[in-house]
Amino acid sequence: MKSRIFALAAAGLLASQAAAAEDMVFTSWGGTTQDAQAEAWAEPFTAESGINIIQDGPTDYGKLKAMVEAGNVAWDVVDVEFDYALQASNQGLLEPLDFDVIDRESLDPRFTSDYAVGSFYYSFVLGYNPAHFSGDAPESLSDLFDLEAFPGKRTFYKWSAPGVIEAALLADGVPADELYPLDLDRAFAKLDTIKSEIIWWAGGAQSQQLLASGEAPIGFFWNGRLTALQDDGMDVGISWDHNITAADALVVPKGAPNKEAAMAYIAHATSAEAQAEFARLSSYAPINLGSPELMDSEIRATLPDAQTAVQVNADMAYWAEHRDEIGNRWYAWQAE
Amino acid sequence: MSSTFALARPRMRKGTGMILPALVLLLAFFVVPVALLLSRSVTEPELGLQNYRELLASGTYAKIFFNTFLVAGLVTLITALLAFPVAWALVIMPRLLAGLLFAIVLLSMWTNLLARTYAWMVLLQQTGLINRTLMQFGLTSEPIPLVNNLTGVTIGMVYIMLPFMVLPIYGVIRKIDPAILQAAALCGATRLQALGRVLLPLAVPGIASGALMVFVMSLGYFVTPALLGGTSNMMLAEMIAQQVQSLVNWGLGGAAAFILLVVTLSLYALQLRLIGEPKGTA
Amino acid sequence: MLLTFEKMGAWRWGLGLICALVALFLLLPIVFIIALSFGDSRWLIFPPPGWTLRWYEELFADPRWIESALTSAKIGLIVTVFSVALGLLASIGLVRGRFKGKAVLRTFFLTPMVLPVVILAVALYALFLRIGLSGTLVGFVIAHVVIALPFSIIAISGALETFDPAIEDAAVVCGASPWEARLRVTLPAISHGLFSAAIFSFLISWDEVVIAIFMASPTLQTLPVRIWGTLRQDLTPVIAAASTLLVALTILLMLAAALLRKGKKA
Repeated sequence: MKSRIFALAAAGLLASQAAAAEDMVFTSWGGTTQDAQAEAWAEPFTAESGINIIQDGPTDYGKLKAMVEAGNVAWDVVDVEFDYALQASNQGLLEPLDFDVIDRESLDPRFTSDYAVGSFYYSFVLGYNPAHFSGDAPESLSDLFDLEAFPGKRTFYKWSAPGVIEAALLADGVPADELYPLDLDRAFAKLDTIKSEIIWWAGGAQSQQLLASGEAPIGFFWNGRLTALQDDGMDVGISWDHNITAADALVVPKGAPNKEAAMAYIAHATSAEAQAEFARLSSYAPINLGSPELMDSEIRATLPDAQTAVQVNADMAYWAEHRDEIGNRWYAWQAE
Repeated sequence: MSSTFALARPRMRKGTGMILPALVLLLAFFVVPVALLLSRSVTEPELGLQNYRELLASGTYAKIFFNTFLVAGLVTLITALLAFPVAWALVIMPRLLAGLLFAIVLLSMWTNLLARTYAWMVLLQQTGLINRTLMQFGLTSEPIPLVNNLTGVTIGMVYIMLPFMVLPIYGVIRKIDPAILQAAALCGATRLQALGRVLLPLAVPGIASGALMVFVMSLGYFVTPALLGGTSNMMLAEMIAQQVQSLVNWGLGGAAAFILLVVTLSLYALQLRLIGEPKGTA
Repeated sequence: MLLTFEKMGAWRWGLGLICALVALFLLLPIVFIIALSFGDSRWLIFPPPGWTLRWYEELFADPRWIESALTSAKIGLIVTVFSVALGLLASIGLVRGRFKGKAVLRTFFLTPMVLPVVILAVALYALFLRIGLSGTLVGFVIAHVVIALPFSIIAISGALETFDPAIEDAAVVCGASPWEARLRVTLPAISHGLFSAAIFSFLISWDEVVIAIFMASPTLQTLPVRIWGTLRQDLTPVIAAASTLLVALTILLMLAAALLRKGKKA
């Protein structure tokens, strides 16, 4: 028995070391999103370059920081939230990207920096279950905060991230071009008015469950999640009024073992074709400016791309700068 | 504890050799790394006690500490109340019934923790099965808020912790000689007296073991409170996880963990001092 | 009377009722999960609009589910062996030993249980990165043994304390060597404590997700890590299907064990 266990242990050790040889590691959040990334980006990339991509995950910022600090980095490319990417680059945790390899010109400048390029983007939008609102349908962000006209539970993103604070300010009448610097006092005062009716969603899947079950008939969602509900035959209302964009980013941790392969992989993943294919599989929007042309008009219509007229861009640089301060206040306010 | 033939076990007089492997493991892979991390609570973002000052000065963090101990205490109490009769029944019920009950207890532990917690989340929702059943039978006209609050956390955690209480109590009751209770009956004790004065006191070591595990485990628990509790009754482990994983602020998270550690261990030491080493606990 | 079922009179019914309610409480989410695994609502709506085997097909089509379950089982078993062995030795020392600072040591052995796991996860991971244990099975097992050990020690020393060491002495007096006495007299007497320790240790490892996320590598993905990622991203009933299979497996194992015991007796 004992020797058997040691044999198993040895096998495990060897296996994990073998993985480090000629390949590179891509880390993302798991689930169908990562499956789609594997299908749209990694597989074609491997076929083309011969570099094998090992999928790891889930992304964990603590893990990333520990790796870089210890100088023993196991990840080559990581999918992170965009505001975190900018903060991490300020903290010196990331490698600068090689724009000789990655075609910066073709990428949406909203989601491009020296250390991070967009992985995909999405919008926070108002979503609701029409069956619950027999009178007027909710149309604007102020309706989301109006308990009298639209009573009942509403659901919002739980974590400190661009989106909800902006929505509160917009609903309170702050013009979109005067959002930053964020007036946190005003935002929390507005959120206080509906706090007792908020159910927080911690992950995309949970937000869908809350809306589909009627637990929270109205809320503030990632647009792709609502499209997925509609595709599943569910009656879901979407209001794009003041849809707030946010993005994930691809970054290379400082000291990543296969930097060259990492840059090549990012170049491939952000190419027009790969972004279009990922958008088709995931209903997130592409960050390559050339992708929309390659996509079905039917899919394009469901993406935030079609809603730029009523769109608000969260200021990622502002968030990167104040991420800790806002986060501390956000979690303390939640716990009050 | 003294034994007649103590001389026959001279090496046991020390006993330190046997503790050594576990001690070394914990020193190398617990004390050293954790001390290194917790030391950052006085060096990040800068040298000083500002993290501790921030934690102790804020009313919100005080509330989180209070919530943590409240939930842990509540969960321990309810778990003990439910586990005692179950453990008792496991000992005395006819074989088949006891076997079935035991199987159910074990079965509940076996399904993945996250899946179980998610199942509770959906069951307890306003539109969930439990509320709909209650309303159908006219027991309530409005759905009762069972989740995203203290009720939800308590139900979910009692569910997870129950086996940790049942097994130690079962182990102790199983060893009680039925004749002792027979004797109590002969002396004229009613059933209630026999329960309160004989059976319960004899089961205390098991209850203490279980309570210790459940209480301490609850203090540092993360998954269930995060999914079933609302943010307004956040527990400490969740706050620490936010600091460590979302904000990557190891200074403040470490400080909170250190305070929790000190408070809990002081309570335990105080308990040892006040009532002596509780039999049946480590 | 209270320990003899037949002599408990009306109390029998009281006790039976409580147990029935607790059993219902324990079974409710499991039955719910089983039902959802056959339901065709992706959004966990209950009762589901229709029934399907689709989630089982998806489960079997993706080998990563079974791989991660096997990884979890492997790690859990190794952790159990070490946790019970170390816990047994430490418990004997703590319960029987006579030395200064025993109370301090007892408290010390509890600390891994108190510390929120995320702190231990980051701390151990940072250490493992420096000594080359990150992403290895050895590191994974060490991390889980650290958090399982307190449970093992509590369960075993609890059993040891109710066992009178004089019985062991008696065996020695009758000619057994001290180790033989320990092995053949004490161990069977505390078997319940060992059993609890094993169950707790396995369970801690099997269900643990926070440390596991840090210890995981592409080749070491445990079931909770996989479920964690999947639950956040997609609330797919595949998880319910996986859980249902585990329940079925558990029932089979328990039945087999019961039959085996019956066979031995006959």
